[in-house]
Amino acid sequence: MINRVLFFCFIVMAFSGHAVSTDNLVLGIFNNEQCLQCHEKTDGDLIGGWRNSAHASSEPVIDCVACHGTEHESVAARARQDQACIECHRGAKGPVVHSYSTSKHGVLMKIQVGQQGWSKPLSMANYRVPGCAYCHMHAGEHDVSISVRHDIMLKSESVQDKMRAVCQDCHSSRYISRLLENGEAMLEIARKKVREADNLIKQAEAKFSEQQLAPVKQQRLKMQQHLLNVALGAGHQSPDYQWWHGQPALDGDLLRIKGFISELPTIE
Amino acid sequence: MRTPYVWLTLLVAVIAVPSGFYYVNWSKSGEGAGLYSRDWVPEAIFAYWNPDDFYKSVESVKGEFSGEQCVECHAAVSPGIVNDWRKSGHSKPANNQAVVYCSDCHGNNHEDLHLPTPDVCGACHGVQHDQFVDEKRYGFPGHSLAMERAMDAKHFADKPKAEVSACLQCHSVASKCDSCHTRHVFSAAEARRPEACITCHSGPPHPDDETYFHSKHGQLYLTEGENWDWSKPLSKGNYPAPTCAYCHMDNGKQQVADKAIWKFGLKQVNPLTSGNQVRREQWVKLCGDCHEKDWSAGQLRQLDVERKQSWAKLYEAESVLKSLRSDELIQPSAKQRPPYPMDSPDTFLQYQHIGFFEGQASAFYNVSPIERDYFEMWYFDNLKSYKGAAHGDASFVEQGQAEMDASLDSIKQTAERLRSAGEQKLDKDAQGNIWLEGEYTEYNREHN
Repeated sequence: MINRVLFFCFIVMAFSGHAVSTDNLVLGIFNNEQCLQCHEKTDGDLIGGWRNSAHASSEPVIDCVACHGTEHESVAARARQDQACIECHRGAKGPVVHSYSTSKHGVLMKIQVGQQGWSKPLSMANYRVPGCAYCHMHAGEHDVSISVRHDIMLKSESVQDKMRAVCQDCHSSRYISRLLENGEAMLEIARKKVREADNLIKQAEAKFSEQQLAPVKQQRLKMQQHLLNVALGAGHQSPDYQWWHGQPALDGDLLRIKGFISELPTIE
Repeated sequence: MRTPYVWLTLLVAVIAVPSGFYYVNWSKSGEGAGLYSRDWVPEAIFAYWNPDDFYKSVESVKGEFSGEQCVECHAAVSPGIVNDWRKSGHSKPANNQAVVYCSDCHGNNHEDLHLPTPDVCGACHGVQHDQFVDEKRYGFPGHSLAMERAMDAKHFADKPKAEVSACLQCHSVASKCDSCHTRHVFSAAEARRPEACITCHSGPPHPDDETYFHSKHGQLYLTEGENWDWSKPLSKGNYPAPTCAYCHMDNGKQQVADKAIWKFGLKQVNPLTSGNQVRREQWVKLCGDCHEKDWSAGQLRQLDVERKQSWAKLYEAESVLKSLRSDELIQPSAKQRPPYPMDSPDTFLQYQHIGFFEGQASAFYNVSPIERDYFEMWYFDNLKSYKGAAHGDASFVEQGQAEMDASLDSIKQTAERLRSAGEQKLDKDAQGNIWLEGEYTEYNREHN
């Protein structure tokens, strides 16, 4: 009952032009449909962004309450914190999180986590250190795929501009440009290693059976992760992921693929 | 009778010594830096990792500005750094000292700004700077020699520069103080926390983060560390459990490498030399802040045992590889693969480089799988066990030793296979030039 009363108040406030996206004005517990009902009207862009994102089309759908919880009092503060993202993004030890948590941003976040507050918007250097959402959902952008991307870096000017806008809160534009260029170049080198392997595998497929090539394919699967590690290392600025989990790991994959293929008996 | 020999020796010396100096100077005079500077051209990003050698200001904004003006403008342009500065001791100095503004470190002239190096910080923080520079006498591994050792590594000179820029991010610890005291707060308290070290001290060859956090010391930190007073110096009685810096930078001294006995576990050392006995006593004294002398000395002896055991395994693997090499059973042979990085004599005398003393640290790519297996046993499994033993993480010692056993087994099996294949006289060239061709392999040969 109390929920319904609060919800009614909430609707009234929404229509009376109050900024409902600000925390604490509305109290109570809400489910996802209720969130959408109000915020579709008050924050159309925000909901639109979410609808465009992979979160909205995933199975199960990552809806409002998945990140924000159900208590209106703390919805924004809760979703701004890394914990909201980490639960799904491969757990605390997975490469996505580990590449961030060992980066300078990540370690400072760990050290200062209690001092961040989380009540301010994710922009204008309101936080000393960027967490997941500061970059990937900068200024509350709910389309997580357009704010900052690791995989395309310089490929798209619009993505580049968006990244620049985020990093510029703290870093010089020249530094950002150099990092973006370097990240893309580093990733392209990693792709060259993968393409070299793919080309060898393609040639080998004409000469050898699927069973003979099974260990080669196994090794190729590892390359996929190592390539992703380079992207994560460049994106999250983790030298360890750029290097030990990335480039030399790919070198090892490539030479082992060559080793497997060169040891296969040639069928006359 | 002797006179001609004396003259000949003198003549050789007179020619050889200056030409030696000339050669070293010449080799350092290229666009890159270090011993192989003539062989490579820096990437633009290197300016930020090694400002001393590569940073150049740009003319983005013209004019000279006072410190207050910098702050005023940058509060709008890049608010994060101004927020940081406001939190720092530089903006609120103690004892009526002058405020340290942006311009004091970066310069006033916006067309000629510089990126502060340790020398810039040293102008005020003289004691710390001198200690940092003094660390060089303890050799590598260490912080102050990190940059030149990275750039002088053969694989650094050989590989595409965009790829090895990953190396410089960590090795930049020699070129800038903000690797640990992050800009623009430059907090000593922050650098005392173990997290300050783990951006570089993590990953397969140096799992310092994991081994420390697994240890009792690390567990105590993880449980209680939030509540410790990090403003206190790293000295006896101030912390309930030691952190990275408490032991390696005791009392806040900057010579991180001064007590290094086993030198990162990369090569076998004699831990009982007189120099190492002195270091051992320093460790026992430091551990004495909390532990009994005999107990601490015993822990160090355990590490000696662990090292000896690991090196026995590593040498066994090395001998397997070296015997394959002498029987010409390593495929591809040295002639069938890209040349060893930066080694011009190799073009006349090509051979596979096996183990630390032959420089295998630079031979982890463009080699045969069995050499790479040994590289991983040496660089990853061995160092896992070493770091586990050094930091008090028994699980990593166990895992590292088990992984070394497995690697050694697999190296022996591969060697057997290569021997029987060699006896069957398989056509070694049947697969064409797969070791010398391919998109990355060729790109690497053209771009170093």
